[in-house]
Amino acid sequence: MREITLINAVKEAYIEEMERDESVFMVGQDLRGGIFNHTKGLYEQFGDRIVDTPISESGMYGTAFGAAQTGEYRPIVDFMFAGFSMVTFSEVSVTTGQQYFLHGGKTPMPIVITAAMGTGGRLANDHAMSVMGAYLRQPGIKVAFASCPADAKGLMKAAIRENNPVFIPFHMGLQSEVGPVPDGDHVVPLGVADVKREGSDVTVLASGMQTKFSLMAAEKLKGEFSVEVVDPRTLDPFDMPLLLKSLEKTNRLVIVDEDWENSGFASTISARVVEEGFDLLDAPIRRVCFPNMPIPGGYMEPYIMPNADKIEAAIRDVCA
Amino acid sequence: MSLTKEQMIKLYRNLIRAHEYDTTMYRRMMSGRLIGFYHPGEGAMAPGVAAHTIMRDGDYTFPHHRAHGMAAMVSREMDIKRYLAEHTGKQGGCCEGRSSFHGSFPEKGLFMYSGYIGAQFSPAVGWGWAAKRNGRSQISFCGAGDGGFGQGRAHEAMLMSQNWKLPVIFWCENNGLAIYGDAAEMHPTEDISSLAQGYGMPAMVIDGQDLFACAEAAVAAFEHAREGKGPVFVELKTCRYHEHDIGTPDLRGDVQRSEEEIAELRDRDPVLLATKRVLDEGILSQDEIDQIKAQAKQEVEDNWNWADAQPIAQPTEEELMAAVFAP
Amino acid sequence: MAITEFVMPKLAMGMNEGTVNEWLVSDGQKVEKGDHIASIETEKVAYDLEAPQAGYFKIIGKVGETVPCETVIAAFVNTEEELAFIDVASLGSAPAADNPSSFSAAAEAVAAPAPSAAPAAPVSAPATPASAPINIAAFNTGRIIASPLARKMAANKGLELAYIEGTGPGSRIVKRDIEKAEQTGAGRAPAAVAGMLQGLVEQARIPMSGMRRAISNAMMEKTNGTATLTQFNEVDVTDLLAARKHLAAQEDLLGTKVSVNAFFIKAIAWAAKQVPIVNSSLQGNDIVVWDNVNVAVALALPSGDSYTENLMVPVIKNVDRLSLVEIDAEMKRLINLGREGRLGAAEMADSTITFSTTAGIAPNGTSGNSILNGTNNAIVGIGGAKKKPAEHNGEIALRDLAPVCVNYDHQVIDGAPASRYMNYLYLALEDPTLLLT
Repeated sequence: MREITLINAVKEAYIEEMERDESVFMVGQDLRGGIFNHTKGLYEQFGDRIVDTPISESGMYGTAFGAAQTGEYRPIVDFMFAGFSMVTFSEVSVTTGQQYFLHGGKTPMPIVITAAMGTGGRLANDHAMSVMGAYLRQPGIKVAFASCPADAKGLMKAAIRENNPVFIPFHMGLQSEVGPVPDGDHVVPLGVADVKREGSDVTVLASGMQTKFSLMAAEKLKGEFSVEVVDPRTLDPFDMPLLLKSLEKTNRLVIVDEDWENSGFASTISARVVEEGFDLLDAPIRRVCFPNMPIPGGYMEPYIMPNADKIEAAIRDVCA
Repeated sequence: MSLTKEQMIKLYRNLIRAHEYDTTMYRRMMSGRLIGFYHPGEGAMAPGVAAHTIMRDGDYTFPHHRAHGMAAMVSREMDIKRYLAEHTGKQGGCCEGRSSFHGSFPEKGLFMYSGYIGAQFSPAVGWGWAAKRNGRSQISFCGAGDGGFGQGRAHEAMLMSQNWKLPVIFWCENNGLAIYGDAAEMHPTEDISSLAQGYGMPAMVIDGQDLFACAEAAVAAFEHAREGKGPVFVELKTCRYHEHDIGTPDLRGDVQRSEEEIAELRDRDPVLLATKRVLDEGILSQDEIDQIKAQAKQEVEDNWNWADAQPIAQPTEEELMAAVFAP
Repeated sequence: MAITEFVMPKLAMGMNEGTVNEWLVSDGQKVEKGDHIASIETEKVAYDLEAPQAGYFKIIGKVGETVPCETVIAAFVNTEEELAFIDVASLGSAPAADNPSSFSAAAEAVAAPAPSAAPAAPVSAPATPASAPINIAAFNTGRIIASPLARKMAANKGLELAYIEGTGPGSRIVKRDIEKAEQTGAGRAPAAVAGMLQGLVEQARIPMSGMRRAISNAMMEKTNGTATLTQFNEVDVTDLLAARKHLAAQEDLLGTKVSVNAFFIKAIAWAAKQVPIVNSSLQGNDIVVWDNVNVAVALALPSGDSYTENLMVPVIKNVDRLSLVEIDAEMKRLINLGREGRLGAAEMADSTITFSTTAGIAPNGTSGNSILNGTNNAIVGIGGAKKKPAEHNGEIALRDLAPVCVNYDHQVIDGAPASRYMNYLYLALEDPTLLLT
């Protein structure tokens, strides 16, 4: 067990998987220099398996997508900022998700789509938006998101080994977050959620940075409410049995998502819980999401976006 | 370089076969025995036949959508009866009957179709990148029409292919029309291939009605790419006799194309020209030609019979859900 | 004192913290705008920082210490004297408080950003939007509001939500309320009602037909077509009961055991003779005052089922010319016919005024507000007498007091004639000797 930063945990995953499987390669922009730490130095080790492209997102993504189609390559495509993947939305979203299904199940697409993502950096909409909803909507794409270094490494390894498209960004604000990471081939399977803190009064379902905020709120409320924090880790496919098991204990649910409230993860899970766990609910489900506005810059983010205070207020509301 | 006699016979046979498949599709569509839509290729079959006859196993391809890529399937000897089944929603279709018109023969390097014009430019870069890396002299064949080059993706693909000297063939079958969009109005220069100049990419402009000229261009272009010299832009001037897709009016802009215009186009029909050539040069006798035509008809009939005999593909919702992800 | 804070700048999108490698000016030095004041290092690059303004420079951050971006590391003041008065502890403090930086901010400061030394104009931001609970009191469906879980628990435990108090928002019944109800034993309906509350179970289904239907229709018709005037009183019938007792003792002689009702009926007729308007019917536009006094007597007779009873009102004709004995005999004759189901049109027709009593069935002292019968304009209800203290000959004594309730049709009979009738009735009931006149 070592204590390392989240960004270095992702880097370890890259190195280990690229050492393990020669067909894995990375394509993006400015990877060799390393905008974020996780690609720094990879070029020295892996040479032409680290591919920099011009600012041609659809050509850049096509490099990965076409190579994956041939069946001989397992690409990781890095968009730098998740919002930039919207520039080639048709490719990352529509074409990617449908390739296997629509073409007779003959071309598995082992493609990993990644980027830095996260609200709170005062960069305004294009850089700050959470694009989870866009990927979650498309059938045929799996979506994962880590809240701590151990999960960041484990999930990325699982994503690279997965024979289907996986969108797995890392949260910009968690890059320097230090946490314990097990030694050895640490893989966190996709589709398995994790209880990050046990409690009995309310379940707070939160991912990425919001897991951290939820834990802070839970700690603050200690003694007043017993808060259970569940980290989905994989948003699609989602580990509903684990959530329902938590609700059997707490009977109250707050879902936190940094993405916009409209048609996002929180809404889908809400609806599913009502369908699958109606009788477990002792209070309405509360969602804490980014309000349906473009993400403003300036100094507005901290109090507009989901944060520990908003989470606390939601907990109080459902526990009333 | 000139083509061998064997090559010319093969080319000719493939053209006749492709022509037969195309015209049969047209008839079936008109008689309600096809699902989805169909973009008839009569008058435009030579370039696709030529390129795919010259291509080798292992090459990656996205054929232009004219005649739904059947020129490619025929010439690369893909199991075309499965495409016919696919196009009629049958079990045994190359996409399990799920796609209405998509082709999928990954063993032959044909991975996908798309409803988006120009979608191919993006993965074509990836096929080229893989081909280069594989070191097996493969090419990435990116077929498109004049309209497809309106896409921004086309620029990115040409840029990146030339940057990296990828073995990508930008094969532009320019028939002068998108749906109603006249290329003269939609592209600022007469030759789409003038784009290549901007990337320092070699280009050639070929008479797309001349099957053998198309083939010679393919030979030259593919060799250039296989030798690692980078992408090539091949523009083939061709035409179509029918509307863009069956059921859509045959307009240029907002004006119906005239019968005279079409008749004039038919004067330079590729089958006509190729037949004349093989006869004139003694490559094939009339008997042999008749035999080729009869065999083509039989082949098409046999394959359609097979496709028609297959049951309709109607998997349950559960079966479809299970097919979204690979194991 | 004018003091300007200088913070560790956030220079790159990915930059979260920085380190001062070297201060390029000394503490307290006067600097000009643009002078290089510090050499800092971020995670990637080293920079020299310039003074954004002129002033006296106070060093706060330590060399070699890595601090988050937006941390105050120095300050400018305008005069040398002010250097001494800088309270470092009051500056900036945790980066989150005033100038929320990056991601750390969202974690801590969520109150509206307070105006700070930062150049940004003070923002009148909304207070942290508290989660607004949905106002379920706004829904008025008449349903009991309970959470899905509470409903399930109640159903499983056989508890009635109607008997459980809800302590959730909007008085919603929630899990803790069910648990409490279990402990305290609430949530269960009284046994007698429990059966009813377990849903509606039919014990019998009786179609409204035949007599029932007819009675029902008649009641509605009379109710809708009558302008009812009601008068109440209590009559001292002690003497009447005593007289009756005498006559009853002479049963063999008289051939019938004279009933109290016979006295009542005779009194009703006697009073009607004094105030004829009450013995009338409305026919079209005419008030017909009858000469005969035919008293209809309300009888409850068995119906075909064990739940309802049939109200029949056979008529004793010409009561005004009959003796008590004759009235009593006729009444009993009609009752017998009724019991045998042989009351026919002859017995039922031609009433002019109606008598109704609850005596013998309802407790003594019960009076009732009866609905007018047929074409009669008055119905007299006299209940069983109850012993009560009353004034008698100037003293309080226990007397037999019978409740009297008369309903009239106000279309024909106004308050004055009604009152006069009531008066005569009262007199006859109080003093039965009047019935001999």
